[in-house]
Amino acid sequence: MVGGAATPDNDFCFDYLPRITGSHSTYETVQAQLDGVCKGYFLLGENPAVGSANTGMQRRGMAELDWLVVRDFSLIESATWWKDGPEIQTGEMRTEDIGTEVFFFPAASHTEKSGSFTNTNRLVQWHHAAVEPDGDRRSDLWFMLHLGNIIRRKLAGSTDEADRPVLDLTWDYLTEGDTAEPVAETVLAEINGWNADGELLSAYTDLKADGSTACGCWIYCGCYADGVNQTARRKAHMLQSISSQEWGWAWPANRRELYNRASADPEGKPWSERKKLVWWDEEEQKWTGDDVPDFEPTKPPSYRPDDDARGVDALSGIDPFIMQADGKGWLYVPAGLVDGPLPTHYEPQDSPFDNALYRVQRNPARQTFSRPHNRYHPSGSEDGADVFPYVLTTYRLTEHFTAGGMTRWLPYLAELQPELFCEVSPQLAAERSLRHNDWATIVTARGAIEARVMVTSRMPSLTVHGRTLHQIGMPYHWGPNGLTTGDAMNELSAVSLDPNVHIQEDKALTADIRPGRRPRGADLPAFVAEYRRRARIDEHTGTEGAMAT
Amino acid sequence: MTTTQLGMPRVGFFTDTSVCIGCKACEVACKEWNAIPADGPLELTGESFDNTSALGANTWRHVAFIEQPAAPSAGGEHDGVRWLMSSDVCKHCTEAACLDVCPTGALFRTEFDTVVVQQDVCNGCGYCVSACPYGVIGQREDDGRVFKCTMCYDRIGVGQEPACAKACPTKSIQFGELDDLRERARNRVAELQASGLHDARLYGDSPDDGVGGNGAFFLLMDEPEAYGLPPHPVVTTRHLPQMWRHAAIAAATLLGGVVASFVGRQPARLRDR
Repeated sequence: MVGGAATPDNDFCFDYLPRITGSHSTYETVQAQLDGVCKGYFLLGENPAVGSANTGMQRRGMAELDWLVVRDFSLIESATWWKDGPEIQTGEMRTEDIGTEVFFFPAASHTEKSGSFTNTNRLVQWHHAAVEPDGDRRSDLWFMLHLGNIIRRKLAGSTDEADRPVLDLTWDYLTEGDTAEPVAETVLAEINGWNADGELLSAYTDLKADGSTACGCWIYCGCYADGVNQTARRKAHMLQSISSQEWGWAWPANRRELYNRASADPEGKPWSERKKLVWWDEEEQKWTGDDVPDFEPTKPPSYRPDDDARGVDALSGIDPFIMQADGKGWLYVPAGLVDGPLPTHYEPQDSPFDNALYRVQRNPARQTFSRPHNRYHPSGSEDGADVFPYVLTTYRLTEHFTAGGMTRWLPYLAELQPELFCEVSPQLAAERSLRHNDWATIVTARGAIEARVMVTSRMPSLTVHGRTLHQIGMPYHWGPNGLTTGDAMNELSAVSLDPNVHIQEDKALTADIRPGRRPRGADLPAFVAEYRRRARIDEHTGTEGAMAT
Repeated sequence: MTTTQLGMPRVGFFTDTSVCIGCKACEVACKEWNAIPADGPLELTGESFDNTSALGANTWRHVAFIEQPAAPSAGGEHDGVRWLMSSDVCKHCTEAACLDVCPTGALFRTEFDTVVVQQDVCNGCGYCVSACPYGVIGQREDDGRVFKCTMCYDRIGVGQEPACAKACPTKSIQFGELDDLRERARNRVAELQASGLHDARLYGDSPDDGVGGNGAFFLLMDEPEAYGLPPHPVVTTRHLPQMWRHAAIAAATLLGGVVASFVGRQPARLRDR
């Protein structure tokens, strides 16, 4: 936050905040890297060279950077692609041609640092460091604090206006121990916010627009209410009511259930005695209950707005969905969705079938990125679709975590799932001469990888539109580094994104499979190019009607 | 009450495979707590999602994944396949053959009626390996000493449950007093049977079986053979006295024959003279 420098005259330094100039999500950032726009990249506990769709595109993006910082437990693939990655093996890249300066910093694990986890159900839970980090490992907080200190030292005395936002930052965090580790709770307290007297705020409703309060993020205001780290509370569920208000802290306002007004009927009485959350207290003339009411506290169920009411006043006492303009729950969505309002069906970007519901094959609102190393497949009755006749689906194993940075280096987990495999039905195995526990090569327009074959009836062959469709199932955790190694499944996937939340489509793609190991060296890209040639794939394939990106 | 020689309640494991989800947390927790080395060759076994294959010197819990064709009415079915998962472990037999054959006293029965190997006493003879009716015990390749589940002797001695039971997220592995566990198991089988899962059965729970009952027993969803377990295990030392008797008779007969062959014959030396 910007402390003393924020005054009414400079609009409380509002213009210091970086503006969102467009989508900066991960896949668009990679495009910006390829286009030479994005010059630097921090990877804190991420391994896109294995875990992101089209890993080749990820590495090619990183190869265009000026600098790359990787903080992780081990030398993950995203830290070493420049010297031993797949493109180095095939000769498509040469280390001496790559201009990216790559920095690797060993990172402390969650047991070695204090901090908070925020779940998707908005619950913020504190964890305390159990041990000091070994060797040179440090927390991300440590890295950011000391990097900030170095930058501020270098900028000290600068008169350049562009440096003011960095120099005016409050950057005086308490540190402790031999490693000068920041006291994580001081950061949480700053996010919670305080008033001009330095007293911690207890709720976002305390925030003022006159500059007398400061808050790092309004939804978290109250997580340090009364000077207590509310997120560190661990009262057992047996000792409190069903909402468990005293276990951790939920944003906003420690509210456990959003729109909980809907748990009561229009008159304000719980629909179910067993599952009651909040109700209207007629005597006290306010909403009360086990959870923090998600409703104006004193608006009675009988309230009806005047015709000229505006804002929240326009919502009646029976409109629980207060973030919607009309306070109602929506089944038909007139606004907000890019591809609404009604649900429908489109085939995946790469599909062996025509869309049975529509003449439009693929979602016209999807995002595609047709680049030389991100080509799409023909689908259904399109010319060349039969070159990739099978459906490839991907999933995770219990033993490994996402891109494997936390698990492939652990002996006890490596031995439990020691090799990449692909699961095929006995029918597909027979059709393509695949032998159990032997090697197979799986190919798409993006790449080719090898995996052990697991023939199993668990991977059924489907009958779709009257024709047999074989599936290939693959976990995606592997990469060339670590104790257990293997090709990365995401060499095969393409970047094409859904229109609303921009998630890559790596659960349903098409592919070919053949027995034996994949080609090595320069033969590998030639092998994949031959597939593209056979399927007559060019920059237009599979891009019809897509949103231009 | 089933008590130990010291009058304490006997403790054990009840592994309810009907709720095992195959997460292998028990395998990892066991290795972490007991500091057992990883020993996998880092090659896929091809045995479904099981890459440990069997119990051994460095695997004291082993989760089996068994894929079976299944009738639509069977439990856990999916597209005509069911996946049985089961965490195997040392059975801590009431009549433990490994204990009987151990010449050094490295294997002993604890105050909890569990069976434990003392690694500093074991001389690596390996008799217990062939004596175990379940194939539980294994030798380490370097010096031949044997290792197996101790039911976390160091943990239960201070009132903690074994690491595997502690780590099990579904309570498939339950630790406790054997009488309680047997009752719980009987109720669970009845519940599963009543819900139509007629193949549910207990394995190793009966004190009348060939090993006098197991300290670690199981609820299985199929025949024991499906899990690689012997259907009728017998303590391999049960017939030892009888065998020795037969051997003694055979030896006596042999000796008698030898003696008889000399009796009534003039020594060759004298005859030659």
